[in-house]
Amino acid sequence: MVVVSKSPVHSVLYLIITFFTIAGHYVLLNAEFLFIVHIIVYAGAIMVLFLYVIMMLNLNIEMEPHKSTMLKFAATICAGLLLIVLVGSLKGTEALPASAVADPDLGSVQRLGKVMFDEFLLPFEISSVLLLAAMVGAVMLGKSEKANDIL
Amino acid sequence: MNALLVICGLSIVSLLAEIANFKKWLTAIAIIGLLVATATLALEWNGEVETYFSHMLVFDNVALAFTGLIAVVSILWFWMASDYFQAQPQHRTERTSLVIFAIVGAILMASYNNMAMLFLGIEILSLSLYVLAGSNKESLLSIEAAFKYFLMGSFATGFLLMGIALLYGATGSFDIGTIALFITEHNHALPSFFYAGVLLLLVGLAFKISAVPFHFWAPDVYGGAPTTVTAFMSTVVKIGALAAFYRMFSIGLVGTYSTWSTILMVITVLTLVLPNITAVYQSHVKRILAYSSVGHVGYILLAFTADPTASSGVIFYYLASYAVSSIAAFSVLHLVEGNSESITIEYFNGLFKRNPLLAVGLTIALLSLAGIPPFPGFFGKYMVFALAIAKGYTPLVIVAVVTSLIGVYYYFRVIIAMYFQAPQQATPLPVSGSQRALTFVLIVLSFVLGIFPDAVLSLIQ
Repeated sequence: MVVVSKSPVHSVLYLIITFFTIAGHYVLLNAEFLFIVHIIVYAGAIMVLFLYVIMMLNLNIEMEPHKSTMLKFAATICAGLLLIVLVGSLKGTEALPASAVADPDLGSVQRLGKVMFDEFLLPFEISSVLLLAAMVGAVMLGKSEKANDIL
Repeated sequence: MNALLVICGLSIVSLLAEIANFKKWLTAIAIIGLLVATATLALEWNGEVETYFSHMLVFDNVALAFTGLIAVVSILWFWMASDYFQAQPQHRTERTSLVIFAIVGAILMASYNNMAMLFLGIEILSLSLYVLAGSNKESLLSIEAAFKYFLMGSFATGFLLMGIALLYGATGSFDIGTIALFITEHNHALPSFFYAGVLLLLVGLAFKISAVPFHFWAPDVYGGAPTTVTAFMSTVVKIGALAAFYRMFSIGLVGTYSTWSTILMVITVLTLVLPNITAVYQSHVKRILAYSSVGHVGYILLAFTADPTASSGVIFYYLASYAVSSIAAFSVLHLVEGNSESITIEYFNGLFKRNPLLAVGLTIALLSLAGIPPFPGFFGKYMVFALAIAKGYTPLVIVAVVTSLIGVYYYFRVIIAMYFQAPQQATPLPVSGSQRALTFVLIVLSFVLGIFPDAVLSLIQ
């Protein structure tokens, strides 16, 4: 439905549903943290970004460029070739060893927290420097010079 | 480690300057903070090798030396940029703190022992630089530079991340010591995607050190960014990136030397030949310096390819001499350019008559970059060539000598313009006292580095 629906806003909304179903797989795989992050990042942040882009571009059917048959034909061939390559490479990979019954706690939030605040404490803290730098940069680029003159 | 904490604190302090209203003293505070950081580094020198936070960072002598170089060059940079900050007071605190953030990133890149830290260091450095490159919002060139740098940089980060992920998949560790151990233990049974990871990592880091064929962003970004930012990019950033490159390949991946040495040799030859030839056809001085800085990476890579484990001293000396000459060249360039956007060689016509000190400073910097004795650039190149010949890389050395001769040509175009062309304006170029002092200090530093190369070389060997 993401692909076929006519209105771009509708397909974005369907995409959110798709993201939620993928997030559901993470719960089934016992990865609670990934589940939360997936919903926050994809369904939350990235979807809003998509919606903004759609609103800014103001897409509608009349504006959509019409593609020639030749182009459609070429695109089909390219996509088909890509599919063959993907299937081939999937067949070529060695079968993963059947994982032993994994630790049921693997991927739980507690385990992750312990690793993050013990072994990977420094990267966690340094990420804050990274985010601070990004924030300062965004403020600096975003602030208009005129407002600055008034201050 | 203490130096890193001091500099992190310094960045916060410089942000607070906006509220507490001590913007005027900001450059002085930054310089004092960096001096303190350098002093703490000197205290840790030759002590026990300490690892921090479960082997995330290791400050051995090589890391300390590169960190010290970054700190000292940053001090010189702040000195040079002081009147730029005064001339453009908008966003002064933000720009200062972004520069200090970038220094934090560079230090992380010089001392990491874990690929997570490498990635964070590169990201902190690059994010600050994307913004700094576009900090002149009225100039279209500056915005173009920032945008190009952002796109290219994030693309390179993708390569780097994929490489890190593949290496982690193959070895099960982010720690470069563990990876090195894994390679020696499983030397013949490494999975093929391990080599793909090494290759991707090489590509990602080659982007950051701007080695050919991953250098396309460099001339545009260097040319478009404000001159002081360009000076920062071609010195501090380059030191950080090369230190990261050195650490990754001399400690972590030296066991697979046979895999990447051929690729690195091809990259070295390309990096020596292409930028030096392209620079001949440039008329904008900033672009000439950009191409020359790409070319200098080639000489460092030559030393590294010849002997990845024992070349740290040579690389350190080369970088030190290159950084001093670069800062000197860019500081003069910045003063000569004034408010104009792009600066051609004609700007330098008759500079000797307008301001002899600047002309002499720039001449010494360019002679050093070209590799003319007794300036440090000559000894840097000499040591690189000696090392490479001792390891049997004579054909590469011949290529490098020829390219450095080509380099002499385009450096001399500027020198000849300064001394033998009639000036466009006969008015003398006024220069503030601190800039005169800086030029003088840089001239003295060039001579010291050139006369006592052993003192620097023996630091880390």
